[in-house]
Amino acid sequence: MWCPNWALRRADAPSDRPCFVVADRVVAVDEGARAAGVTVGMDRREAEALCPEAVVFDRDVAEEARRFEPVVEAVEQVVPRVEIAEPGLVFVPIDGAVRYYGGEEQVVAEVERVTTEVSPRIGVADGPFAARWAAMSARPGAPLIVADTAAFLASLDVSTLETEELVATFRWLGVTTLGELARLPRPAVASRFGPPGLEAHRLASGEAPMVRPREIPPDLAVEERFEEPLELVDQVAFAARALASRLMAGLRREGIAPHRVAVEMETVGGTVRRRVWRSADPMDERALTDRVWWQLRAWVEGAGGIVRIRLDPSDLSGEGRQLSLWEDTVARVEAERAFARVQSLVGPDRMLVAEPQGGRMPAERVVWRRWGDEPAVPPRDPSAPWPGATPAPAPALVPPEPTRLEVEWEDGSPVRVRLGTRWEPVLGWAGPWRLMGRWWRGEGPADRYQIVTSAGAFLCVVRDGRTFLAGVYD
Amino acid sequence: MTAMPVLEAAPGKVVELVGPAGTGMTRLGLSLLVSVPGPVAVCDVQGWFCPLVAWEVGIDRDRLVVVRCDDRTLWPRVVAALAEGVPGIYAEVPFGARERDLRRLGALVRARRTRMLLRPLGDPLPGGLAHLRLRSLRVEWEGVERGHGRLSRRRIQLAAAGKGMGGMERTIVVEEDGAGPVRVVSELGPQTSRRAFG
Repeated sequence: MWCPNWALRRADAPSDRPCFVVADRVVAVDEGARAAGVTVGMDRREAEALCPEAVVFDRDVAEEARRFEPVVEAVEQVVPRVEIAEPGLVFVPIDGAVRYYGGEEQVVAEVERVTTEVSPRIGVADGPFAARWAAMSARPGAPLIVADTAAFLASLDVSTLETEELVATFRWLGVTTLGELARLPRPAVASRFGPPGLEAHRLASGEAPMVRPREIPPDLAVEERFEEPLELVDQVAFAARALASRLMAGLRREGIAPHRVAVEMETVGGTVRRRVWRSADPMDERALTDRVWWQLRAWVEGAGGIVRIRLDPSDLSGEGRQLSLWEDTVARVEAERAFARVQSLVGPDRMLVAEPQGGRMPAERVVWRRWGDEPAVPPRDPSAPWPGATPAPAPALVPPEPTRLEVEWEDGSPVRVRLGTRWEPVLGWAGPWRLMGRWWRGEGPADRYQIVTSAGAFLCVVRDGRTFLAGVYD
Repeated sequence: MTAMPVLEAAPGKVVELVGPAGTGMTRLGLSLLVSVPGPVAVCDVQGWFCPLVAWEVGIDRDRLVVVRCDDRTLWPRVVAALAEGVPGIYAEVPFGARERDLRRLGALVRARRTRMLLRPLGDPLPGGLAHLRLRSLRVEWEGVERGHGRLSRRRIQLAAAGKGMGGMERTIVVEEDGAGPVRVVSELGPQTSRRAFG
């Protein structure tokens, strides 16, 4: 259920003048300002220049949550377990309610009846992503009940994925709708765009996002009782921050982050209230603190004092491609976003991860694959014995192709090496270690040498009387 | 023994590694990133980086991502994008990198608390950008004779300077043998002092 422009539904919004709400950028625009050219996402100065007569409000999400609270309570009278994504947008799981009321139309009609004052837009579809866009496509008083979620999503623009760089790349590739994206082979999308691409493909196909819920250890929930009831907004803000911080510290130790958090409070009079907030991405400490604060801010007035606050995390996303070695899920998500961004800048073939494989030369002992591709079994077993392999330490720099190196030899011993424009005397050397080439591929035998100069050490290969650089011990 | 008690890549700081190829600065730089909690990215300008060295110093293969970027104009955007989300970065700095881009990168590193090791391939970094500047003075290898043995142990003498050294230039000797990160084996004390009173 979506109430558009919720940020503008405030008592002091003028009816005779255009107005809009800004945070860092414009977040809500009324009809008058829109007619003047102001759009959501626009820079504040630009918006003010376009519509100088408009009244500009600074965004206060906590206040929006407070105003939205009665709407949520009303919906909750019809269907329990309402989840708030942001003030103005709630998700309601209706499986149970459909059985109780006798059908989706009846549930929607009941919700509409209790929320007539705010004239919401209601969409029904499989999963939060599709339901949200169904609500945004619906008209007031005409809810959109989607029977075939995949078909509904197919017509939506790729910008609905709301991942700017991914969307730009999709467009550049000629993929403009979610249907076109869903028709691409999933392994190819995963290979090119990594986990964010895979996530986008799942959403476009009408599947649930890859939240991997874990068993919730009961001790992760945090609770605080207050001997002196909290009555002031500042007291509540302080308590919210402290509790959110405590909860995140516990979650971080477990290497997990919540997609949902239930905020529960008890008043002096014994009334217990509980509300669930959800987020598409795992919440970090700031996101969690904001949501807890917004909810408590909505409750604190008229509560008559809060004596207990409890935060209960759920949908704990704790598994991932590389989580085993990464301590923090939020950090993992940030890193994967950064990698995806870099991949879109440099291209998939230049963003690589490496796996070990068997071989005698350093270059042979590494198999590269694109970041985001599924690991493959290395063609040469790294655990097998490789007699004659170049011993550790390995050179840090290995040219992609053997590079000619000028070396002066005397009686089979290297004497001088040309590095750039100067000749460096050889201080020590080891070798030769014979490499038998793959004769069936036309490779002849070669000898390896480790050569030390005052400028560093080098791994060289001598083949057919010519010396090649095979590695630099940097 | 604690690895390298003096040398560290602190969050939000840039470490500059100065020395021609062969002086051990790649291995040293990766050693400073072993303890980073999370992934490590290597921005490889020359296209020569070999991950064997990262595995040898102790960076597990599922933590290491290598980005090849030889485009001087694209490089600042690539490294900045990495700094936005990757906690540990070793990046070669291409010839002709602009001071303005490098200073912006320094600000981003501070804001995101990234550990950033920069290895200029051309001119040194602009003054004040690096918290710690490590310059190789001398490299000595053990294990090879005239045709015998193999490379086994390396000692690198470094000049360490910058705010990370309290404003003094110190000479530090580090050692590696291909197993684990580079270790500090001795500190020869301050060479010069820039402090003054009067």
